Amino acid sequence: MHIYSDIKYTLRGLAKKPGFSALAILVMASGIGLSVYLFSFMNVMLFKPMPFEGGERFIQVFTSQNGSRIQGMLNLHDYHEIKQNLTGVSTLSAYRNQTVTVSQQGGTRRVEATDSRANIFSFTQTQPIIGRTFSEAEDKVGAPRVVVIGYELWQNMFAGQANILNQSLRIDNEPHQIIGVMPEDYFFPYNADLWRPLRDNIEQVSREANAQVRGLLLRDEDTSITELNQQLKLIMQRLEARYPTANNGIGAYALTPNMISADGGMAVAYTMHIAAVLILILASVNVGNLLLSRAVERSHETAIRVALGAPKGRLISQLLWESIIICSLGGFIGLCMIGWGLEVTQVITNQFYTDRPPFWWQFGIDAYTLKLFFAFLLATILITGLLPALKSVNGDFNAVLRDGTRGALGKNAGRLNKLLVIGEIFLSITILLVAAVIIIASKKATEANYGANIDNVMVSRVQLPDNQYDTAERKVAFVNTLKASLASAPQFKQLIIASALPGMISHRPSIAVEGKEYIQQGKASYPRVNHIAVSAGSLKHLEIGLIAGRYFNLADDQPNTHTVIVTQSFVTQFMNTEQPIGKRVRVINDSTDTLQWATIVGVVEHTIQTRPNRIEASMPSIFQPYSQTPRDSMVIATRINGKITPTANTLRQAVQTIDPQLAIYHVELYNAALARYMAPLAFVSNILGLFGLASFVLAGCGIYGVMSNTIVQRLQEMGVKRALGANEHHIMREFMYSSTKQLLWGLIPGLGIGIALGFAMSTTLNVSLFELLSIACILTVGLAGVVLIATYIPTKRALDMEPSHALHYQ
Amino acid sequence: MSDLIIKLDNMSKVFFADDLETHALNKISLEVAKQEYIAISGPSGSGKSTLLSVLGLLDTATDGHYHLADHLVSNINKTERARIRNREIGFIFQSFNLISDLTVEENVELPLTYRTDLSKSQCKDKVSNALKKVNMLHRVSHYPSQLSGGQQQRVAIARAIAGDPKLILADEPTGNLDSKNAHDVLQLLDELHRDGATICMVTHDPRSAQRAQRNIEVLDGRIVLDQPTTLNNAAVSA
Repeated sequence: MHIYSDIKYTLRGLAKKPGFSALAILVMASGIGLSVYLFSFMNVMLFKPMPFEGGERFIQVFTSQNGSRIQGMLNLHDYHEIKQNLTGVSTLSAYRNQTVTVSQQGGTRRVEATDSRANIFSFTQTQPIIGRTFSEAEDKVGAPRVVVIGYELWQNMFAGQANILNQSLRIDNEPHQIIGVMPEDYFFPYNADLWRPLRDNIEQVSREANAQVRGLLLRDEDTSITELNQQLKLIMQRLEARYPTANNGIGAYALTPNMISADGGMAVAYTMHIAAVLILILASVNVGNLLLSRAVERSHETAIRVALGAPKGRLISQLLWESIIICSLGGFIGLCMIGWGLEVTQVITNQFYTDRPPFWWQFGIDAYTLKLFFAFLLATILITGLLPALKSVNGDFNAVLRDGTRGALGKNAGRLNKLLVIGEIFLSITILLVAAVIIIASKKATEANYGANIDNVMVSRVQLPDNQYDTAERKVAFVNTLKASLASAPQFKQLIIASALPGMISHRPSIAVEGKEYIQQGKASYPRVNHIAVSAGSLKHLEIGLIAGRYFNLADDQPNTHTVIVTQSFVTQFMNTEQPIGKRVRVINDSTDTLQWATIVGVVEHTIQTRPNRIEASMPSIFQPYSQTPRDSMVIATRINGKITPTANTLRQAVQTIDPQLAIYHVELYNAALARYMAPLAFVSNILGLFGLASFVLAGCGIYGVMSNTIVQRLQEMGVKRALGANEHHIMREFMYSSTKQLLWGLIPGLGIGIALGFAMSTTLNVSLFELLSIACILTVGLAGVVLIATYIPTKRALDMEPSHALHYQ
Repeated sequence: MSDLIIKLDNMSKVFFADDLETHALNKISLEVAKQEYIAISGPSGSGKSTLLSVLGLLDTATDGHYHLADHLVSNINKTERARIRNREIGFIFQSFNLISDLTVEENVELPLTYRTDLSKSQCKDKVSNALKKVNMLHRVSHYPSQLSGGQQQRVAIARAIAGDPKLILADEPTGNLDSKNAHDVLQLLDELHRDGATICMVTHDPRSAQRAQRNIEVLDGRIVLDQPTTLNNAAVSA
């Protein structure tokens, strides 16, 4: 009965002040909504186990280079050593992802294939909907070529035919027998459209041939990732001792599959979690302050209730109901915002990839989100309600009743108000710094100079199947034929063929410069550079500035010619003040340490061969003619004037004429492709930008609210001081001084923590300390402005009141 | 230079709220001589507190003229009003209005801190003298909450007189005190008057009013009675 009347009373009170109620509910909705959204988003991206039984125990094994986590692939022989020696693991498998071209009567298309050991399906314990998966007997060289296809491929290429089994599917021009179809939405381990036996085994492939695979294991429940890493370290150390040249500096480490996208960027991820908690606290502090001001306003009423014998518990529960209702309504709105936000996130993250994102990226209100939501809701109710309630019922009611003023309660609330302002300043400067670092990083990355003119360029990819294009001559012949075929097409006057364009990750072998001494044996002691194959004219068409020497020409395609063009960064890093033209550089291949020296014929501007915010962005590059270093995968690009489609069609026709089995894929504008690479950072930056804006608005409103409240509580004091002769300047100066003190109390620790968090992210995001400190200065000025304005306006308004009114204000 | 410290001519104060005009003061004319001790009395809502606010430059009149110590102050700006309140007027309130975060000494020093013509040592001397007069020197480091009501009002009186004002305005100074403390406070005001202060005291209490030289009764914003008090005059003649 009491509860019913308390709720009724609270609702009546909230309805009486609709502006206050709406503001408090909206603040709470934004606080809960933003923080739970970010936690849910990060959970799906980084922590949520794969949706299979035991998915939380799936582990990927990658290689490191000199302790640096590079997510490298394992040598097949190293994988077998690991498999034999690693304990605490129930299943261990190897696989390799690659893009393949499949052709059938339904046409030719490029799909993602996973070549794996037969036990890959045992991880998920998923059975095919038709047929079977492959056996260990089929996982050997010489065994019949079989393939398990995915549901989408079955539907799209075979129209879901029931008699699909034993039909033939040409994969990279090799016929494969279809033995099974996997269920819908099954893409394990990453985004596979089809699965084939790996077929490589150590008896048939030498260590030097360096067949590379990804390791996947299912750890036992009682084995931690740390334990696995310790074992991997020991195994790799033993291998390094046994194979000092091939394995020099190579280590291995374990990682959960969903951590792959954030490996090395966890500082950013954890900082974002901290920001999410801070924004929730900020919202709670704001609502708490609003409720506190209400409690102070109603102190006389509370005093009367106490005088009438109301028990303390009842008074607290009455005040708590207000908090419960505001937080619950705000939380409900916040939950709707979360649901909508996660739906939008699904759409946006799908655009990060030209095909599909990792299959476990399923954003929505799941059990984790709901659990977190209710935990946050409970926390906010306690934070926002309990403090004002306790403050309210512990006041000096006798003084309130006797004086008819706020008396002692006002004084206590004043102290709390100061703490609230300090807290808001602390929280907002911290969040703003974190947000600003990511925004700056994103802005720098999106506006980065890749070293080439990226406008009006159509890019596309082609993958030469290694079974058909198994020699350098065949690869070169394909490129030469393509160039000849496109020579007459006006759209391809500026034809670019390269293994990677600026902004795209390239092969990074070790190199040696003639005349330099390298202290240790083994590849790890040599510096690594981007090694890019380009056709003659490509660098010029990309408008990569020539600093010295010349671009490649047809003479570089002559047999036994070995030439390179290096970037200015290469000269700066490796050649000191030497004249680079005419010097020689040796690329040290991963498989065989061939001693092939190439002469530097030109120096060009530095190009970025990764995302601009990565530390590898400063890595120098060397370019070599495609004829001298042919590759399987290449980018075909041209500068266009009009629409992309006619140009793409001409290219497709030319390629199909040369080889009908080849598919041109990822056809898009170059700058759009680069924007897509940066889309995840831009997305995170937008989220953090929203957080920053929200924190700024929340802090601004909150500080204004607290200041207004403080000034209202001190109106009588202002009246007394004015009666004693204080003029407006005295009062204004006093309040400004008090605000400045609070500003400093909040700002100094906030700046300390914010800069520390920003610094933790700066390495990953390529933001310099100078930029970080500059941001801190700008934000400090901005926040100081907010605090001083939030003090000035209510103080000025109070000073406009006649002193006699202020003296008698209640 | 006249002997008048206060001269009001047809002073009116009208409050406007929701299309309703309230005439708190209605063409009041009043003269108070230097070193005079007057009591202003009247029922609640009669306008006596508004009159005191206008006299103390805490509020502005809607109409009429106000001369304070021969200076026309009814049309001066806020800063000048603040300066006059600080230098020429001392206030004593019913609810003491001491600043709870300041000690006794700091409270008394407060009006002096708004002045630029006093050195730190001069301020200290004035604070000591004022506290000595009200017999509160032994409580300089205490906070208001550590004092009784009577002690708080004595501190408030010390604060009012610390700057040697020409005029002391007291609004129900004994309203929140018991009879013993009320008696002490009234005695203090008598002493201040004897020492040459001009005092205007708003009071409900007829016995308090009798301690003044002159009683002014206000009703509906008008002065309905202005006559010497019998008790004080008898005391004076005695």
